[in-house]
Amino acid sequence: MKKRLLLVLFSLILLLTACIETKSEVSKEKDADSDKNSDGSNPEIEILGMSSSEDDINIVRDQLIKNGFDVKLNLQPDYGSFKAQQDAGNFDVALSSWTTVTGNPDYAVRSLFKTGGDYSILADDEIDKLIDQAGIETPEEYVETYKQLEQKLVFDKAYIVPLYGSFKTQGINTDILDKDSIRLSKSRALAWETIDFKDKSKRDKDPLMLSQESSTLTSLDPIKGNDGSINTINTNMYVRIVNLTDDDEVTSDGSLSYNFGIAEGNSDYYFLLRDDINFAEIKDGKAVDTGERVGADDVIFSLNRAKDKNSVPDHRTYTLHEHIKDVEVVTDLDALEAVTISGGDDTIKAALEKGLDTDINELVSDKNKANNEAGKYQVIKLTTTEPFPQVLNYLAHQSAGIVSKKQVESINTYDVDSYDVNKDIAYGDQDTVTEGDKYNNTLYASGPYILSSKDNYEATFYKNPAYMKDTEHEPKISTVKVRFIKDADSTLSALRNSEIYLYYGVPETKYDVVDKDDKLTRQSIESNAVTYLLFNTENREVAESENLRKAVLYSINQDEFLDFYHGNKLKASSTVSPLVDTGNELKSDPEKVKKYLKKYKDNK
Amino acid sequence: MLNIKGKVHENKNEHEHALKLYVEYTQANFTCILSLIVTIVLLLASIDITSLTIKPYLFIAFVAYAIFTGMQIVITQKIKKDLLMLGEIQKHTRKWGYIQLFSILTGNIFIVIFALNLIKMKQTPEYTFAVYMVLTQIAIIAISALNVFKPYVANLFPIAMIVLFIITLFQIAVLFIVARYANGHTVDQRMIFIVIPLFIISVTGNFFALLLGCSLLIKIRNNYRPGTGKWNGIWEKISQNMTAMLGMLFIIVAFSISICSYFTFDYDMAVENNYSAILQSPSPAYPLGTDNFGRDVFSRIVFGARISLVVGIASTAIPAVIGGIFGALAGYYSQRTDNIIMRLLDVLYAIPGLLLAIAIIAAFGANTINLILALSVGSIPTYARTMRANVLMVSNYEFVDSARALGSSDLSIIFKYIVPNSLAPMIVKATLTIGGAVIATSSLSYLGLGVEPHIPEWGNILKLGSEYLESNSYLAIFPGFAIIALVLSFNFLGDALRDALDPKMD
Repeated sequence: MKKRLLLVLFSLILLLTACIETKSEVSKEKDADSDKNSDGSNPEIEILGMSSSEDDINIVRDQLIKNGFDVKLNLQPDYGSFKAQQDAGNFDVALSSWTTVTGNPDYAVRSLFKTGGDYSILADDEIDKLIDQAGIETPEEYVETYKQLEQKLVFDKAYIVPLYGSFKTQGINTDILDKDSIRLSKSRALAWETIDFKDKSKRDKDPLMLSQESSTLTSLDPIKGNDGSINTINTNMYVRIVNLTDDDEVTSDGSLSYNFGIAEGNSDYYFLLRDDINFAEIKDGKAVDTGERVGADDVIFSLNRAKDKNSVPDHRTYTLHEHIKDVEVVTDLDALEAVTISGGDDTIKAALEKGLDTDINELVSDKNKANNEAGKYQVIKLTTTEPFPQVLNYLAHQSAGIVSKKQVESINTYDVDSYDVNKDIAYGDQDTVTEGDKYNNTLYASGPYILSSKDNYEATFYKNPAYMKDTEHEPKISTVKVRFIKDADSTLSALRNSEIYLYYGVPETKYDVVDKDDKLTRQSIESNAVTYLLFNTENREVAESENLRKAVLYSINQDEFLDFYHGNKLKASSTVSPLVDTGNELKSDPEKVKKYLKKYKDNK
Repeated sequence: MLNIKGKVHENKNEHEHALKLYVEYTQANFTCILSLIVTIVLLLASIDITSLTIKPYLFIAFVAYAIFTGMQIVITQKIKKDLLMLGEIQKHTRKWGYIQLFSILTGNIFIVIFALNLIKMKQTPEYTFAVYMVLTQIAIIAISALNVFKPYVANLFPIAMIVLFIITLFQIAVLFIVARYANGHTVDQRMIFIVIPLFIISVTGNFFALLLGCSLLIKIRNNYRPGTGKWNGIWEKISQNMTAMLGMLFIIVAFSISICSYFTFDYDMAVENNYSAILQSPSPAYPLGTDNFGRDVFSRIVFGARISLVVGIASTAIPAVIGGIFGALAGYYSQRTDNIIMRLLDVLYAIPGLLLAIAIIAAFGANTINLILALSVGSIPTYARTMRANVLMVSNYEFVDSARALGSSDLSIIFKYIVPNSLAPMIVKATLTIGGAVIATSSLSYLGLGVEPHIPEWGNILKLGSEYLESNSYLAIFPGFAIIALVLSFNFLGDALRDALDPKMD
């Protein structure tokens, strides 16, 4: 009896095991996985990245392994160690990302891929030539040039592997803030002056609570930093002579100029300045009007130091302004009438007068004599080294923020060549606004807000009392506080329990959490951020072998990134993709991978 | 009437000590509580609070558990009555155990263990080992068998399952034999024919088979040298401690599945991304759901056990050996040697262990070997201290003097005579610190300093799950539970070992 029972049981199990498909049977059917088993001959790819982007690295790792590579990971905890590893060349591909904050395609390629660019490790004449050519072309013309550039950069030479483009997303507490007052712009940083409470009576009583990741502010001197820690802050502390609209058109709205005009030839640019902005300073913990007007001399001073590499130590933004040749104040009214605008018959004067209440009667060189109601204006003329219309985008960047000539010159008395970081205190040093014994706030803000003080927990800003008073651009809320919250989860929690009112940059995986919360609203817009893999160009197999690079290129499947991020990412074929529709698309192709890998191995 | 009542009362007092004497009663109560907790958890899980509907499968499980738990309570009362009235458990009460055995179909391991203990009037450690050995094997088969719901299984899966099944049949046979023939202090010499296969099957990681084999072997050899050894005394104590045995069961199941998973699980399921199955809730194909890369969390936890156990045990064994040697030398030799070794170790002791580990990993990179080394270095001094204290005590004993008189060398005195007699506290300490090492491993991985993020390790899985606490809480609950269970198990086992090895407890 027992024996029979055993026999039945045993045969049942045999039957069951016969029914199951094993892995090799399945993979035989699919005819895949053939390359997957490592026989030691697989090329090894070392991926360098920060642990904050470990999800992306994992997807890349998975795709490379499935296409017959061996993968080594080099994960670094922060940007500093990442950069150190990158500079030391300890990688085959580095996971990089780029956001074109100026909204023009030139910026998306110049400092990244041109020989000698700020962030460039490439040296390719053909690519340099295409970048320069596209720079001087009009938007209609440059589409084709950027298409060729992409073709060369990505598909022919495979210097980078594009992964995806991102959305810019903000979560808003609509119980507290007026949703319609908050802008969401493709490129420019968040404008604080428009933001308003739902309950208007709270404007002077309650602070606007915002957040940002980094509590270490690179510098409050606009030309000395270009990173996430100060972009938004400096954008709101310093006015510029032009701005970007939400969809990256250059505009005078909310800037120091009423109007601007491009003269025939695309080399001369004219700006008509406003007279209703004064610098603000902090006195006894309050923002006060200094009585000093933001005028033409400040603009000339600011733009000249922006383009001059040696104007300050640690100048981080001069390459953005290398096309500026000359900035001057125009005093001869006839000169404006003598020039016509680019691509039109109007004179520059007519272009600058568009929509003004009082026409230009007189041009003054002393900013204090300007009186717009009486027709006395200041006009700035900017000349570029070559015809370069995209210069306007750079002028809208935070690094072209207008600082006070008088104040900066009185603070930056040190000699640039012998600058000693321990002794000399530069204008905008974060220590001067950090609470403690070094506190000595010398900031002069031309923008809607001024930083009063900060610690590691938050920074407090006050409204500039003399910023476009009684216009629509006058800041609505008197006090802005920016909380420093390191990680995304905590920031989201802060938003949800109303510690902050607006979260700028909600991660893709948290969209549903924001959507589910009744008091929160989510807004998304396609951003200019592109994530890509950058190949090492020295001392590695990938630097030598184009075939190996191409094998990596065609291993990458952008659809899988889209799947992982629940469709909240965009396909991209290079860093210009969000700005120029070139029509190129990277399609993963295991056959091509095999082909290029074979070529690579044969050549070795 | 009054008289009889008085007599009953007297009887009760007389047999009150029987309640303490019989482990069955303690175990019955313990089983009741554990089983009740699981039942309540199932009930809560089966009700969807938001819509007030009942999930059918979980509710059926709850009903099954409730029935057996109810019977368990009845049996506990019966045992109590028996013991108070008669001072022993009646035969027909023990028969109830056979009914409770069926709870194995519901997976209620607590009741099964209790039932098997109840059925057997006199429990020997061998019987307990055999019971746990069979349960371990069944657990392994059950865990592995869940793979049949997957789209495909590992290549060796069918063969491995048949082998496991045959081993189980053999083990059940051994259980019967042991229950029948291994009750005395000695056993028949022919038992050697089951001892050898037991040793062989312990390569599947089922250390209960190894323990059973050793126990039987000692008893076989005792045929010629009667008298109970220390071995039996220790294991008798431990095997009566149900928490310790449950802890050991979990550890050995985890260990065994780490080995068997080489054949029955497919590693690619745990590391390869599958974008068509992202963040799925638990289902037969993915018993614990899938994570944000579409990887099977169940497979990941199974493979994670390997790293957690290896790192936990290795980072305990290495400092125990190194610290042990240093401690022994320091304890045996003169003041100067002692001072040099111990003061140097004190310097190491002054550095916080986890900080030292983080520093080592930051300097040399994150991988399993570095992780083990980093965790090991910090705990060398504590082992050295323990060993030194023991050696100081033991080296004053007469047998050490006699060994010295016989002209043994210092090294042979230390490692042949002193160290073996100083090991007991080291073993206890090691067992208790494995739990700490497992937590340290997971903590470092959680901080992103452990093994690479795609490698299945419990801390890694938990870290990923913590990002989905709100939307997909199972991603954090299961690995968290695994870590808790493993650490608790080692602690329970360590406690029981300390009790068993402590001469004062006799």
